[in-house]
This record gives sequence, structure tokens and C-alpha cells, in this order.
Amino acid sequence: MTAFFTGLIRLRRGPWEMLATLLIALGVIMLMQPFVLWAFTWSFVVTLVGTVMFIITSHFPE
Amino acid sequence: MTDTIPASRPIRRRIRALSDRSIAWLFVAPTIFLLLAVNIFPLIWTIRLSFTDFRANRPNREVEWVGLENYRRILTDPDIWNTMQVTAHFLVWTIALQVLIGFTLAWLINRKFRGNDLWTTLIVLPMMLSPAVVGNFWTFFYQPQIGLFNYVVSFFSGVDPSSFTMIGSVTLAPWAIIIVDTWMWSPFVMLICLAGLRSIPDYIYEAAEIDRASKWRQFWTITVPMVLPFLMLAVLFRGIENFKMFDLVVQLTGGGPGSTTELASINLKREAFEKWRTGYSSAFAVILFVTVFGLASIYVKALNKVKDR
Amino acid sequence: MSGSITEPSSRQKTVAGTLVILYAIITILPLVWIMMTGFKTGPDSISYPPKVFFQPSLEGYVNLFTSRTRATPEQLATLPAPANFADELARDRGMIITGPSKFGERFLNSVIIGFGSTFLSIFLGTLAAYAFSRFKIPLKDDLLFFILSTRMMPPIAVAIPIFLMYRSLGLSDTHLGMILLYTAVNISLAVWLLKGFIDEIPREYEEAALIDGYSRFQAFVKVVLPQAATGIASTAIFCLIFAWNEYAFAVLLTSGTAQTAPPFIPTIIGVGGKDWPAVAAGATIFLLPIMIFTILLRKHLLRGITFGAVRK
Repeated sequence: MTAFFTGLIRLRRGPWEMLATLLIALGVIMLMQPFVLWAFTWSFVVTLVGTVMFIITSHFPE
Repeated sequence: MTDTIPASRPIRRRIRALSDRSIAWLFVAPTIFLLLAVNIFPLIWTIRLSFTDFRANRPNREVEWVGLENYRRILTDPDIWNTMQVTAHFLVWTIALQVLIGFTLAWLINRKFRGNDLWTTLIVLPMMLSPAVVGNFWTFFYQPQIGLFNYVVSFFSGVDPSSFTMIGSVTLAPWAIIIVDTWMWSPFVMLICLAGLRSIPDYIYEAAEIDRASKWRQFWTITVPMVLPFLMLAVLFRGIENFKMFDLVVQLTGGGPGSTTELASINLKREAFEKWRTGYSSAFAVILFVTVFGLASIYVKALNKVKDR
Repeated sequence: MSGSITEPSSRQKTVAGTLVILYAIITILPLVWIMMTGFKTGPDSISYPPKVFFQPSLEGYVNLFTSRTRATPEQLATLPAPANFADELARDRGMIITGPSKFGERFLNSVIIGFGSTFLSIFLGTLAAYAFSRFKIPLKDDLLFFILSTRMMPPIAVAIPIFLMYRSLGLSDTHLGMILLYTAVNISLAVWLLKGFIDEIPREYEEAALIDGYSRFQAFVKVVLPQAATGIASTAIFCLIFAWNEYAFAVLLTSGTAQTAPPFIPTIIGVGGKDWPAVAAGATIFLLPIMIFTILLRKHLLRGITFGAVRK
């Protein structure tokens, strides 16, 4: 867990990509869940942030 | 080494390197150009249209810039939300069933019984066929009374074959599309799982055997973790494919009855090419684009992970 | 203990084999049924219980390839003797053949567009794949990802701007338009698959050729291409199958002259309801080539469906 946070601070690829992946997954779940409308409404923003983050952070050093 | 190498040598090398570089660009450029023209240019156009109220059936009408209005309307529209839930139902069940069937089949085929290659090839056939044509002939099987599917179900369960219509009933239609998709694509998951199973070297099992680990334990501590990256790949790919599913379902049910099988792409087609709300549907298309792009980047990451094996 | 401990016992093999064969039979049944329906008469195709044994008839195939009109017995009596078996079959049903149906044309469109786009995507794809495999290209990984991601896009979403673009360029419902579109979709698969195949060819072969005085281009044509022939062939089959099967773009962007078979087959209707034998005949003719190709491809299937990542 500490390795994860130091990785984040040092702008390492692994943990940031993981974070972006989680955001994309969260966005997709929010888009398709049947429970609350506001989650559906904000899903696109979450997915977009995750995707952009993924593109940027995949260029971080290993 | 002394400085006696003729001066022509580095120059010649440079020319050769240069020509390599120009060949590289010459070879890659047509592909990139084609993709820019047929994919990226239209994509940028879609993004631009998504901020307007353009209608493709009235190209001469004045186009108004509406900002984020289209996005706001889509993302607060209960009908679109319903469409996404229909897609989710389809997605979750098809993936669950295909993983279950696909993995089981792969595990059985990996017992290496005689003639397994032949049967594997036969099982794989449905996934290569045209989804639209498949969807079309499955409507024939789903006919009440005369359909093969109804007949087989009634043969085994005793239910009257004309008492239910798979694609006409609100409760059964979502399952009708799941059944056909599972029939078609379980072999896909099977093939990838089989590759995963075959990538496990025998000596790991031999070592476990020496440690007296039970078969059950071996399955959960060796087989499953080793196949998991492959399974992830299959799940992601099927997820992306079924998220944008169109041809099969449009031919099977056309989105009906009501909107019980109206997946995202079918809804989008209706908005864009029947109601001609081009601006509005462009915004919806952008939302689907971004989602698929996000999933695709995870997919490529999974792909590279498997590649290293 | 005899044999390896990881080798399944013969009882295990029998059980596994039986289950797999059972599944295979169930999964193949719908395909066999469609092929059988193509040879049934109209009433046989919709009889209850479904008929397994029946008198085979070519009615479905005749109906698929011809258009007919109903004629009275008096009209039929005045006609000269039937020219061929198709005529005879139609007259038995009280019909006269008035000409060929559109199926032949649509099938030909599928062939033209399928082969055209396959040729183009293989041509461009081989060049690009070679460059990606052998040369240092800036942002290589990003370009490869970009190329792959274009294939993942939902076709309906892409179709909106392409519809507008083709309308203003006059490319809607033309063979050229469809060939370009399918090439753009297939090229991603071609590049990824072929890169995998070319990566496997040892660089030493080309380096030897370069030392022998070949230029880079000659080395590519004379050394790499022959080595990659199998890979190119199986990639071509994958591209062909995709173009052959494609429906979404075809249904939205073509309506007549360039329409392929998949959007056409579901529209086949007979007199008073769907003509299932004709539909089944069309489906059989259309699907059979793919089944044969799939069997030919079986060694490379896995590669094809994972964009070359899993090689077995």
C-alpha cells in the first residue's frame, strides 16, 4: 500500500494506470447501474477523466 | 581502434539509416492517412456536431450552437438510462454465461481426449458467422409452434410450444438475445481459456502433486490464477463487443417488444437515422466513444500482459 | 504408478470427450437445421412437429434466385414446355419465373467489396506492419494503440459522420465507398496480426540480404514477404470474413447498387409470409464459405481473435 502511494507521488506508471483503470471501471458501472440517476448523470465525466488520465499516465516512467 | 576507417563508411551508414527512416514513414503513412480520413476526421466532426442542433435530413436549416445542452439532456434522460440498463443486463448475463460455458469447455478439452481438435473446430463455427444472418435465422427457431427452439423446449419440459414466444414477450425477449449471443460467443471464451490452460507448464502440477495438494486445491491455486489474465482478456473483449452490440439484436428483435431489448446502439440508430436528431445523437455517440475508448485502453494493457507470457 | 501424474486418466478422458461432443452436437444443430430447411418445401419448413426426414426439393434455391408471378392454369397451359428444372418447379406451384432476383447481384457485391477491401487492407497493412516491426518509429506504441482503437469503435456512432461525409462526397451506396470503409476497419487487424507474424521472422535473414547488396526494399520483397506468406494468407481470410459479415455500415450506407448480402437476406419474403426455405437457402450459400474458411484457419484462429497477442 505504501509502495502504491510513493508510486503516485513519484509519478510512476503502475499505480497511476491502476487509478485510471479504476476510474474508467467506476464510470462504466455508474453509466449502467439501475439505482440512482445522479450517478448515471455524472458517469460520463468520470469515464472521460479516467480515459484522459490513462492516456497521460501511460507515458510516465515505469 | 585507430582513425583509419575511410570517411565514406559513416556517410554510407547515414544514407542507409536515412533511407530506412524514409521507408518506415513511406510504409506507415498510407495506413495513418486512411485512418485519419475515415476515422479521426469523422470523429472530430461528430464532436463538433454534438454541440449543435443539426438535423441531417434538413441540411439547409440554420444550425444553432447549443453548447453542452445535448449532453445534459442525454445524461438526465430516463429513456437513455433505461437503454443503458438493458445493455447492462445483456452484458452481465452474456459474459457470465460465456465465461462459465467457455471455461468449462476449455477445461474439458484440455483433458486431451481423442479427436479433440475436430470437435473444437466444430464448436468454434458459430462465432465466425455473420451476426445479422444468424439473428435472422434464429427468429425462425423462435417462432411459436413451428420453431425448432420452442419445439425442443416443449419436448423436454412438456410446455405447449405455442404457449410462449421468445421474441414477442416482454419477459422472455431479453433472454432470447442472451441465448443467441451465448451460443455464438462461448467458443470465443473457450479458445482463449484453452490457450491459458495450455500455457501452464506441467511441472507446476507435478510439484503440487509431490506436495500432496488436493486436486481441488490445485485447481484454485494453480489453474485459476494462471488462466485469469487470459480470462480477463476474453471478458474485456466480449464486454466491449456487447456494449456496442447492434447487428445480431437488431435482426432478432429490433429492440422490441417496447424497448425491452433496445441496446445502446439500437437506440442510437433510431435517434440518428430515424428521428434524424443528428446533433443529439452525436453527443450520445461521443459518450459511447469515450466509454469504449476507455475500455479499449484497459484491453490493450491486458493484451500486453498476456503477450509477455 | 504408470505414465505422467499430470496425464488425465482414460476415464476422465471419456467423460470429458462425451460432454464436449454433446455440446458440439447441440451447437451445430441450428446450422444443420438451416441447411436442411433450404432443401425443404414451404409447407415442410413450417410443419409441426419439425420434420427431420423430408422429400428434398430445390424450391428454396429457385425462389432465392428468381422473381416470380402467380399465373392461372389457363395461362400456364398456353406456355411452351418449361426450359429447365427451375421453370418446371415454379409452374408446379402455379408460378411463372419473370427474371432473376436481386440475390445474385447482392452476393456479387459482397464478393467485390469483400475482396477489394481485403486486398487493400493487406497491401497497406503489410507495409505498415513491416515498418512497425523493424524500424524505430517515434510514438510507436501510441500509434499502434490508436490503430487498434479505431476497430473498437461502435459502428453506429462512426456511421453518423461517415454518412454525412459520404453524402457530400457522393460515395454513399458505391462500391468504392464501402471498400474504403471496410479497409479502414480491417487495417487495424491486419497491422496487428501481420506485425506478430513478421516479428517472428528472424532479422538475420534480412541482414544477410542487406550485406549481399540488396536494398532495404528488395530485402522486404524478396526475403520477408515469402517468409510471411502463411501469415499474410490467414490475415487475409480474417479480413475477408469481417467484410463478408459486416452489417451495420452496410445497412446504413447502402440501399441498392452496392448493398451486400447481409442486409439483403433478412428482407427476402415470399407470397403470404416469410419464405423460410429461400431465406435458409440464402443463408446457407452465404455462410458456407465462411465455415470452410474457418476450418482452414483453425490453427491461426486464436491469433486472429486476439489481434496476434496469443500465439498458442
